[in-house]
Amino acid sequence: MRLLLKLAAATSLAAPLAAGYSFAQSGPGAIQIPRHERIELPNGITLVIMPRGEVPLIAFNAVLRGGALGDPPGKPGVASLVAGLLEKGAGERDAFAFAEAVEGVGGSFNAFAGAESINVVGQFLARDQDLMLELLADALLRPRFAPEEFEKLRARQIELIKAAKDSDPSELLGTYGRAFLFGDHPYGRPVSGSESSLAAITHQDVLDYYRAQFSGERLTLVFAGAVDAPSLRRAVTRAFASWPKARSKPDALPAPAPLRGRRVLLVDSPGSSQTYFWIGNVGVAKHDPARAALDLVNTLYGGRFTSILNTELRVKSGLSYGARSGFTRGSVPGEFSIRSFTQTENTGKALELAIETLRRLHTEGVSSEMLESARAYVLGQYPLTLETAADWAAAIGELELYGLGTEYIEGYGPALRSVTLADARAVIDRAFPSVENLAIVLIGDAERIREDARRFGTLVEMELLEPAFRPASPRSAAAARSD
Amino acid sequence: MRRIASLFLTFGALGVATASPAPTVPGREAVRSLTLANGMKVIVWPDRDIPNIALYNWVRVGSRNEAPGITGLAHFFEHMMFNGTTRRAPGEFDRLMEAQGGANNAFTSDDVTVYQDWFPRSALELVFDLESDRIANLAFVPEVIESERGVVFSERRLRVDDNNHGILSEQVQATAFVAHPYQFPTIGWPSDIQSWTLEDLQRFYRTYYAPNNQTMVLAGDFEPEEVFALARKYFEPIPRQAPPEEVRTREPEQLGERRVVVRRPAQTPLLQYAYKAPAANDPRAPAASLLMSILVEGDASRLHRLLVEERKLAIEVSGYWHEGFDPGLFWLYLTLPEGSDPEHVQSVLDAELERITREGVTAAELQRAKNLTLASFWKQLATIDGKARLLGEFEVFHGDWRKLFDAPAQYEAVTRDEILAVARDILDRRRRTVGVLLPQEEVEVEAEEVTACACS
Repeated sequence: MRLLLKLAAATSLAAPLAAGYSFAQSGPGAIQIPRHERIELPNGITLVIMPRGEVPLIAFNAVLRGGALGDPPGKPGVASLVAGLLEKGAGERDAFAFAEAVEGVGGSFNAFAGAESINVVGQFLARDQDLMLELLADALLRPRFAPEEFEKLRARQIELIKAAKDSDPSELLGTYGRAFLFGDHPYGRPVSGSESSLAAITHQDVLDYYRAQFSGERLTLVFAGAVDAPSLRRAVTRAFASWPKARSKPDALPAPAPLRGRRVLLVDSPGSSQTYFWIGNVGVAKHDPARAALDLVNTLYGGRFTSILNTELRVKSGLSYGARSGFTRGSVPGEFSIRSFTQTENTGKALELAIETLRRLHTEGVSSEMLESARAYVLGQYPLTLETAADWAAAIGELELYGLGTEYIEGYGPALRSVTLADARAVIDRAFPSVENLAIVLIGDAERIREDARRFGTLVEMELLEPAFRPASPRSAAAARSD
Repeated sequence: MRRIASLFLTFGALGVATASPAPTVPGREAVRSLTLANGMKVIVWPDRDIPNIALYNWVRVGSRNEAPGITGLAHFFEHMMFNGTTRRAPGEFDRLMEAQGGANNAFTSDDVTVYQDWFPRSALELVFDLESDRIANLAFVPEVIESERGVVFSERRLRVDDNNHGILSEQVQATAFVAHPYQFPTIGWPSDIQSWTLEDLQRFYRTYYAPNNQTMVLAGDFEPEEVFALARKYFEPIPRQAPPEEVRTREPEQLGERRVVVRRPAQTPLLQYAYKAPAANDPRAPAASLLMSILVEGDASRLHRLLVEERKLAIEVSGYWHEGFDPGLFWLYLTLPEGSDPEHVQSVLDAELERITREGVTAAELQRAKNLTLASFWKQLATIDGKARLLGEFEVFHGDWRKLFDAPAQYEAVTRDEILAVARDILDRRRRTVGVLLPQEEVEVEAEEVTACACS
């Protein structure tokens, strides 16, 4: 074990650091963030460099605050197209030359939008540090946004949604579920757009988004791995010096109101052999102080193989290949959801069983034996999520995006160890939805499951082939509250 | 497969090559192996970056060991390995492992069944106890067999029946082989899923689940000697069995292109090619693997660039070479935009593949494939999971884990001439099966057609 020094230099350059390693352990789950330096550049960019020398790779994660929050009204998918176009030509390179530069040296480079950020992530061999930085700076500072690349990406994205409807309906559940639950709140937007929203997006929308959203104080750059820290620090400072500090502030994000009552959205997929279902309501935010207790209870309820949900729907009944639950946590509360699927004929039975497990969680809670098991499990698995340089680049980027502080990682083990049965009971009461208040989405053969669906709440229907993720009449589950 | 997302095991490109001098792969001196008196081999790679251990137990049985009537049994058996022993009730395996911080999974392929555990080092002895118990004492509870049958059916519906890619590739694979058991879908035909019996499972257990038919690999935070001591304590008492019979059937030479057309509710048509290709231990393996990378890996790859970016004939292009014990398939998968004419796409694709067999590939293409392969290799070596997986793949499919450390040199040595030669061997129209999935609505009602011809 070795003591690790954390540096959080506010302005000036920190002393060069030896490439050190990573983990210090004192008991399971006691993770310390590896030695790194954190600098704010004059134009507001936050730069984090974490040397780790296990393999000759450098991972980067550029996090730009905003993401789909910056999509113009009625046009979800703009941020996603902007992200996709960052690697379709930048600086001196057209789209093909850019791909060739990345892949020619065995690198990877992926830009994508999320609900609250655009991330550019990748890995390069250590010997290509200079090229990596050049490509990253070009993509963020000098994207070409060529009109023909815009048209191609937009058309392809529309076709990819159709392909997912053909072959992967369960992957779309969350998109339908969030649209149904959150309605017009930004968390209800399909981040990658829908067929109809993409069709309405113009090249100008992309240019406008870039002009409004890309600036220094929104950006965090994280590099982890076999870096040459001093030269990287100098090069980043130089490469990004020209960026303006601020253009616009991200819009304030209100907390979504939880749904009251039960609403069911049935998405008709004629001939589907199974019903894919999602059950949710508004859950918790990233900053929730009871994170450890929430994770332990969710582990027990639907977060691992022996969970209550999986035991009922898979192990004991054989109704499904699997059932899980989880919280999506943003800067404001995202959704808690249950997901599973079952043979069309068993739709009613499986839904009843899933809801029954939730009722039982509220009435019976968890036992101390269960709590100890979940504690050992989460503590035992946590180090596996922070093993590589890419893992650390992702984790540090998340801390910066949500302003979480190092406690989020270093305090997690101690917090897990201190969760009591009373803490577990408190989060069940507060954060796991009551069975009375649920948004339910079913993708399946409507003809055969409509009567089942009706039993679980007020029914709304749409076709899987409709070009949007919400029914044509824009009634969301949340909007129905005021009915 | 128990929980993870893709049914078919992908043995990705493993090798290494680089423009600058091939880096040496560290660790060879740290890896140790032990063969127990009963023939079971244990391979260990200590790595103390995190206080955890990854374990892969490779059992040499897959769907290639099946026959009509019991297709899917290797995979179903994988599920049953979690469902109780004479010492422990169904569910205890998972309950005990999770309570000590461990997680597990398993997957089945055409060739192997692999059991995986990831756990904190404090659970090491428990894991040996649990893993050896199910090799020595597996028990079958009839009600659990019935309930697990439902689970596997649900898995099949997810991956095949409600998935156009899954439906088409199942049909193509079944058409590509007329004799060899590689024709069987690993998940099993529905009628066989319905019909397996307790006796089938018992026979399968006796035949294939023996210490001398498995190889266990561990990577992570341990001393090799403590692992070897546990292996002796828990596994050595399990008696050796007669080795299972070899798969005798060899696929006869394919004499002409075969074609499968599937009609399904769909917006986006699909086109798949499956060429007959070498087995994993073929000397052409590094070249075949690099050829696949040149064709489909990344936006700069030959087929992505041509079909997705330049001609806009496809929205996705990918590929997979099944590197197994026996000669398998070299797949290309295309997803086409709505309203496409697959015949036209096929003619463009064929012209490009023929160009490669005529002219070969460029030096830059080969170098890109080598560098991508190198980077992928390092990414896998960055985790204890990747180390355990790679060691096992080299030991099981290439005969010796030490070859992992020679992989960089092997890939570095591949020349453009070798790529050209292997492209000519593999990309032969007479030895391929073409699958097309067309939207149901847009055509006259027509039965599924399977035609084989000795054309071209």
